[in-house]
Formats: sequence, structure tokens, C-alpha cells
Amino acid sequence: MTEASLIGLLEATVSFGALLYLAALGEMITEKAGILNLGVEGMMAIGAVTGFVVALQTGNPWVALVAAIAAGALIGLLHGLFTVVLGAEQVVSGLSLAILGIGLAAYMGRGSVGQPAGAELVPVDWGPLSDIPWAGPVLFQQSPLVYMAVLAGIAAWFVLGRTRLGLAVRAAGESAPTTDAAGHSVAGLRLGAVATGGALAGASGAYLTLSITPQWTEGVVAGRGWIAVALVIFGAWRSGRVALGALLFGLTLALKTRLQTFGVDFSPILLSMLPYLLTVGVLVAISIRSRNRPSPAPAALGIAYRREER
Amino acid sequence: MRWPVLARRDQVLRGGQPLAFGVGLVVALAVGVFLLLGSGHDPLRVYARMFDASLGDPRAWSVTLNRAVPLGLAGLAVAVAGSMGLWNIGAEGQIMAGAMGAAWVARIGGGWPGPVLVTAMLAAAVVGGGLLALGPAIARARIGVNEIITTLMLNEVAIRLVQWLVHGRWKDPGSHNFPLAPMLPDNGRLPTLFERAHLGVVLAGIVIALFGLAVSRTAWGYELRVAGSSGATARYAGISLKRKILTVMVLSGGVAGFAGGVELSGNADRITEGLSNGFGFAGIIVAALALMRPSGVAAVALLFGAVQIGGQSIQTMGVSSSVSTILQALILFGAIAAGVLGRYRIQMVAGDTVETPSTGVES
Repeated sequence: MTEASLIGLLEATVSFGALLYLAALGEMITEKAGILNLGVEGMMAIGAVTGFVVALQTGNPWVALVAAIAAGALIGLLHGLFTVVLGAEQVVSGLSLAILGIGLAAYMGRGSVGQPAGAELVPVDWGPLSDIPWAGPVLFQQSPLVYMAVLAGIAAWFVLGRTRLGLAVRAAGESAPTTDAAGHSVAGLRLGAVATGGALAGASGAYLTLSITPQWTEGVVAGRGWIAVALVIFGAWRSGRVALGALLFGLTLALKTRLQTFGVDFSPILLSMLPYLLTVGVLVAISIRSRNRPSPAPAALGIAYRREER
Repeated sequence: MRWPVLARRDQVLRGGQPLAFGVGLVVALAVGVFLLLGSGHDPLRVYARMFDASLGDPRAWSVTLNRAVPLGLAGLAVAVAGSMGLWNIGAEGQIMAGAMGAAWVARIGGGWPGPVLVTAMLAAAVVGGGLLALGPAIARARIGVNEIITTLMLNEVAIRLVQWLVHGRWKDPGSHNFPLAPMLPDNGRLPTLFERAHLGVVLAGIVIALFGLAVSRTAWGYELRVAGSSGATARYAGISLKRKILTVMVLSGGVAGFAGGVELSGNADRITEGLSNGFGFAGIIVAALALMRPSGVAAVALLFGAVQIGGQSIQTMGVSSSVSTILQALILFGAIAAGVLGRYRIQMVAGDTVETPSTGVES
């Protein structure tokens, strides 16, 4: 194992970690407000295709990113419309959103398959920091979206944990009637959280097609949306722990294509099962522990609230 | 300022779910018109082709019926768990696990008589699917682990397990280094009924009917539904929830596994990582549209089979197959909206209503 290949591994770990973190953070915020959105895979696909197509049309990666974020928020709001406004079953609506998003993305991108990227988000130049051995390439030569993921994580931690708005969002996820009685609009809070989740999933998808693999193919999200859903549980609904989990799962993604170059005789396919198995393990561990203490999951997660029926 | 709110109707609109389903279909087809116009196709011609290719003649029917088999069985798997209020999101993986079991039997039983081999394959498929559901079932029954996420996660594991087998141990030496499993032996194939339709159509029909009767007409099914609507009531009635959860989840996985065995033996040349091409997820939509009732699953599956087969046929007209994927999701969204409007009506109320203290009870 050479130094260069190890640096490459760490660089890819941070990059994949940020990709997963953006989407997982969005799902975490959504779940904190009490809405389970299993449509992350579809929302990421919409973000990925929107980013790519808009980049082709405008040649501007930033316009493309903003468009992808907006598209993600919009498709996320569809889930909001059905689960928050119409009170539909969240599991069904979310999975249908995944299917719809994947289909819609394939439709939108049908003319762009195989085309060269119209624009890419180039890595940020941090000046002298980028030249530091090891830390430079791993931390300071990354796509702007990596730093946006860090900022988004800090913002989520601050807003959810330190502001009145965050308190209201968390309250909506713990007990909707109490939140309502306290004078907050549960529907408004939940719709906002779902839209934020969609926006972050859209950004994550755009990271794929504007930075990581700047081209459009139908299966580009490749199950990472499901990993994002898993991460929220793995990180026990806390932005910091979700970030650590994202790096760990990012490492498995980064290792997948590199095992052979490292001379490790282990199937990359089996390795790619790890995030899912780890999540099942963590979920079991949480359940065993929460016999004695409260579960970290939002208490009202998945429960519809109809104001006029309270 | 006046706001629209949803108010419960005194009486649920008649026609109920079939009507909602019809509305969903119409909504989906209407949105589809825009998608097709957007890609420069004549919607009427495309829809006509979809109809012809899926329901236009006996051959079309046979292909559609074949497709309805995995969709119906996956839908049944979800509905069986759903009738007890459990979510089996893992049909996709259980289908793969079932196909794995069947493929394994086919590897060792190449010399067996056809009926014996096929029966053994299907039995192994049931076991395979049931086994994949066993973990989530135990975790849910014993320590209350949410089955939605565990079954969802195991999908990805099962798909990769097949991928791993096909890339390694099960790779056909004669496949010129392509990661392909060997072709299924001829005696491992389900017999044909007419045109393309295979015996699996009948088997699936029987299984769906049996479960339909078991859930709606037996004491077992009644207990299931009681447990689904209220765990406390079930406990008072002396129903063992743990055992019920365990059997229902494993049965649900077994049904999905059966779908994988039938799909492999009836429809596929060999096991591939793409064998369950979203059938498990589509099954969730099928079950939701059937309101988790096994009796409705067959009809919905048939329609979804037609939409999928029709969607494949229009690719020769240059229409993206994604249109059919979009239609399937839109049927559900349309039906949900219609279902809600059947139970509620939109009422305009004055804004800034006075806050009344809540009872603290979640709806």
C-alpha cells in the first residue's frame, strides 16, 4: 500500500462521506419533525438529473446546484402534501416517491445519457492549506459540496438544538397535539422539514453528477439513498453521530473499488453489505438499550396528525 | 381570511376503493399525456400500443399474467403483514432469497424428474424468503425492533448476496468470464399453460385465494386483524402477539420468497441480480391500493402487470420505459388523494381559529 493510494482512499472517504451526510442530514431533519420519508433514493435521483441537465443548458455549476436543491425540495414537498396535508401512510407515500423520483429522473435525463458534463463544481483552492501533506488533499482539495455538508451539519445542530424553531420542529416530532396546543403550526413545521430534507437530498444528488461522476446514467444514485436512510438510525438522530457514521459508510464505499489495489482478498460485494448490516445491528442495540431508557427515535415518527380530529 | 381544511364526511362516499383506484388511473394517464407530448409522442397511439401489447390478444394476456404473478405475490406478502399492522418492506430482498433457494436446488437436482425438482425449488424458495424475514421477525417480536427499517436494509443485503454468488461460486465456467449463473435445467421449469403463461399464474391465484380466505374467514385471520387494530385488545383476548408477529412476518417472507421461486422457474433463464426488478417495491404499492386486503391484490396486480408490460412495449416507439414507472407511482398518489377526498370534504373555514387545549391523544 503506497502513501498515494492511502491518501486517495481517505480523500474518497471524505468525499463519499459528505455525499451521504447531505442526504442523511435531510432525512434526519425530516424525521425529527415526525415524518419518515423513505423516498431519499428518488429525491437524490431528481437532484442528480436536474443538476446535470441544468449544467448542460447553462454551463454554470452553481445555477445547476441551486436548481437541483429546488427540485429536491419540490419533490420532497409532494411527500409532504400526501403525508402532512392528506394524512396518507408515510411508508407507502415515501416508497412511491422513491419509485416516482427514479422514473421521473430517467425521463428527464433520457436525452442526456452519455453526454459530457456541461459544467463541474471544481475543488476549492484553500491556498497554502491545500499544500499541507496528507491533510491538504484529504481535507482541503475537495468539492465545494463537502464544505457545504459540514456547514449544513453545524447549522442543523445549531438550529435543531439551540433555537426556538428547532425546539418546535423537535416537538412536532415528539408530540404533535402538544406542539399544536403551544401555538405552533404542526403542518407548517413538518412541511418545512420535509422540504429541507428534499433540498438536502437534491444537493446530495447534484454532488454526484456535478462532482463525483460528472455524467448522467439512470442508476447513478445506486442505493446510496437507502444508505442515507440507514445513517439516520445509525447516528441515533444526532447530527454529530450521523457525520461519524457517514464517514464510516463513506469508507466502505471508498474501499469498494480499492480493495484489490491494496492487495486485500475480500469481495467488494460483501463489503458493500456492511452499511446495511451495521444499521440492523445498531437498531437492535438501540432497542435492547431502550428497555431501560427512552429510545432516541422521535416519539411521533410516522404518526399522521389531523388537527380537526384532535 | 378563509382557509380550506379537510373535514370528515358524515358518510364515506360509496364505491370506495375501486373508485379511488379508477381516479388514480385517470390521473396517472392524464399526467402521462403531458410526459408523452413533452417527448414528442402521440399519447393516443402510445396508449393504444400499451393496451394492445398487454391486453390486446391471448399472447399479450399471457405475458401480462406472468408479470402479475410476482407483483401479486409480493403484494400479498405485504398485505399479509399489513393486515396485522406490520410493514414488510423487504419483499424485494425476500424475492431474491427465494430465487436463491430455488436456484440452489436446481443446481443439485439437475437429474431429478421435472415435477419433483420444481416442487423442491418452490419449497426452497418459500424457505429462503421466510429465512430472510426471520431475523426482522424475531427482532420485532422479542425486542420490538422496528421492522420497516430492518426489512428495508435486508433488501440490499440479499441483492448483493446474489450478486456475490453470480460473480463467484455460481459463475458459469462456460460464460466466458461474464458474471452469469448457468442456465436453469429444462426439468426445473414450470410447465406452460397457454402462449407464454406458465403454471405459476394458477399457483399464485391459489395462494392469494387461500390467504384471502384465511385472513377474512378464519379465527386465525380474525385474531390477526384484531391484533392489527389494537394490540391491547388482542392481549385482553389472550392472543399471543409475539407468536403472531413471528408467524405473520415469516409467512409474509415465505410468500415473497415463493414469488422469487416462481419467477425464476417460470420466467427467467437463470438467476441474476436483477431478477426482482422492483417487484417487491411495486408490491407495496399494489398492497396499499388493495387496502392490505388479499382479495384486492390480484386485481391490482393484474393492472400493474399490464402497465409494466405495456410500458416495455412502447420502447420500440422510442418512448422511455420510465413513463411506465412514473405511471405506477402516479396511480397510487392519485388513488390516495381520491381516497382521502372520499372520506373527507374540503371545507372553507375562517382563519385564526381559537386554539383549544389538546387532549394529547395522537390521531
